[in-house]
Amino acid sequence: MWAKRRQPLQSKISSVNDASGLWLAASAMLMVTLLSSAAFLAPQSALLYLALTNVLLLVHGLLCRGNIGGILRYIVLQLGFTLLLYVVIHGGQQLHQGAWAVARLLLALLPGWWLTVVIKPQWIGEVLAKIMPVKWAFVVAASINLLPYMTSELRDIYQLQLLRGARIAPRQLLNPLNWYELAYCVIFPLFVQLLKLAQQTATAARSRHFGSHPQPTHWRDPRSHQ
Amino acid sequence: MRLLELDGVNFNYGSLEPWIFRDLTLCIESGSCHCISGPTGSGKSTLLRLLSGLQSRPFEGGVYRRRGLLCGLVMQDPQVQLLRQTVGAEVAFALENTAVTRDDMIPRVQKALRRVGLFVALDSPIGNLSLGQKYRLMIAAQLVSEPAVLLLDEPWAQLDNSGVDELLAVIRALRAEGMAVVMSEHNPDAFKGVADHFWQLQSGRLLPGQFDCDHHVMLTDFSPEMPTVFTTDPFEFRYQGSNTLFSSPQPLAVQRRELVTLIGDNGSGKSSLLKAIAGIQSNVYPLPMKVFGQRPKAGVFGQQLGLLMQRPNRQLFEATVEEELSFSLRRFGLPIDMASELLEQLGLAALAQRSPHTLSYGQQHLVALASLACYRPSLLLLDDPLAGLDSAHLDKLWMMINSLRKDGCSVIISCHRSLPLAATQEWQLVKGELLVNNMCRENRRVG
Repeated sequence: MWAKRRQPLQSKISSVNDASGLWLAASAMLMVTLLSSAAFLAPQSALLYLALTNVLLLVHGLLCRGNIGGILRYIVLQLGFTLLLYVVIHGGQQLHQGAWAVARLLLALLPGWWLTVVIKPQWIGEVLAKIMPVKWAFVVAASINLLPYMTSELRDIYQLQLLRGARIAPRQLLNPLNWYELAYCVIFPLFVQLLKLAQQTATAARSRHFGSHPQPTHWRDPRSHQ
Repeated sequence: MRLLELDGVNFNYGSLEPWIFRDLTLCIESGSCHCISGPTGSGKSTLLRLLSGLQSRPFEGGVYRRRGLLCGLVMQDPQVQLLRQTVGAEVAFALENTAVTRDDMIPRVQKALRRVGLFVALDSPIGNLSLGQKYRLMIAAQLVSEPAVLLLDEPWAQLDNSGVDELLAVIRALRAEGMAVVMSEHNPDAFKGVADHFWQLQSGRLLPGQFDCDHHVMLTDFSPEMPTVFTTDPFEFRYQGSNTLFSSPQPLAVQRRELVTLIGDNGSGKSSLLKAIAGIQSNVYPLPMKVFGQRPKAGVFGQQLGLLMQRPNRQLFEATVEEELSFSLRRFGLPIDMASELLEQLGLAALAQRSPHTLSYGQQHLVALASLACYRPSLLLLDDPLAGLDSAHLDKLWMMINSLRKDGCSVIISCHRSLPLAATQEWQLVKGELLVNNMCRENRRVG
């Protein structure tokens, strides 16, 4: 019973027919777009309801074995930076506004995280292929697929530069003068890696006939046929 | 049967750039197996791309293909070629793109997986496969299109011994079916049993035989000295929420000037152990390790410790090679001259003002290592530093290690296989256990 409850939405989609599965994936994507937009557009009074909805997504994502650690670390860091900026620019009076801004950011990120946990990138690509050119849909799906890899690259590069003496330890980053170092010796090499990776992914896709047919078909894991 | 032929091909990356290929001629027949060796940056990967038809830049000369010929290219790192999350979806990607119907996909995917000896469920997550299995998965992802020529880019460096054995068996089976195999390789000896044509690509020319470099710097023997820089009591290495990855039933100790090789298969925990020693491995249960007498923690050792991770070109970011080396010197308050001295010593002074991003793979590798070596750490951790390096670049690597050890640095190197080195200890990760082989036990006090 427990195992069943932990199955990703993808597995549940697999148990229905393809058309219904696609509709379910499309609905999830639409819902996530609306929720993320609402995080920025909704009035402050409505944020509580939005937060409750996000809590449900969070619980479901965690049950589907999603790892929220990266987002939480980012939000804590972002909160530190934002509050520091508010202190520097506005003094101590408007700190709560900085906290609200970060809260909205968290509410905007959570639905996207949930989507990447419960829907396979290939499903997202398949839905997108209905509304945009196949190549663009592939790029979006491949980008989502590469997110875990790029996160691990970011961590490795950060650690490498920290060991080389870069002033990017969490305590050093409290000093805004060191943010340039973070951008220069972590974010810049990460972008270089991203470009290389994009090139390699493109070669890998081309070597497997990507783009050779205007209307590609779509694989379903065997469970879909049961 | 002749499948593919290169006739007098000339190629370079620009009119002012040196020639990559000069009058290159090669003929691929069905059932043949070609192994191409050559120095790092000689154009082996470019040659494979040219053969596969994926080389988009213009070239001179003739490339003749049999009508309807399909080539399958497997690049060096399987990790960057993965486009899907499950085994079945990954293999089926080529079929999707050629609009094969869903019902026809499953038997073809199953057949391709069987041909590479990968017997896993089609909905298995790729993340659960070992690197060797992922490499075979990439081969299956090409075989599913029934290519007549399979092109493999430097498989040996990526795979451990069991992975190479699996690959050899796959190549034998494919050759028996009439498929031609072409691979680029720094270590052609590993494929002597299956390859029937050996080529060396050097200075743009493709000549019969194996590439062999004249340089052979030997590692110098240094006796370990007190003090001890690294110690640990017996431990179990375990990620939080997971079973034990490996255990060390005996205490470990590394003294000054020691050279330790850490040997193990893909996924055995070598990189994680090195990261734990450097204090940057998260999500593991606490380990009883002491480095320079204190518990490892990221950044606390400053210039005392250096770590070179796999694919070290990831860490390059400065505008010139000299600045790349100077970065740590400035941060640790050391004389900047040490950078140019090291470049001089390695014979890389000519590269000092070049951008590290424009260098060849081997040169980038050396610059990344030099950026650590120049601040003279007391403990240097090298994670698989030999991957993709030819013997000329290996010589420079050994030179750096000799020079560092002479100054009292201890070095721990992880790799897939035992090395013919002047190692003082060999740590082997076998079946979840770290076994220690002391090469000069009489001189050492362990624990």
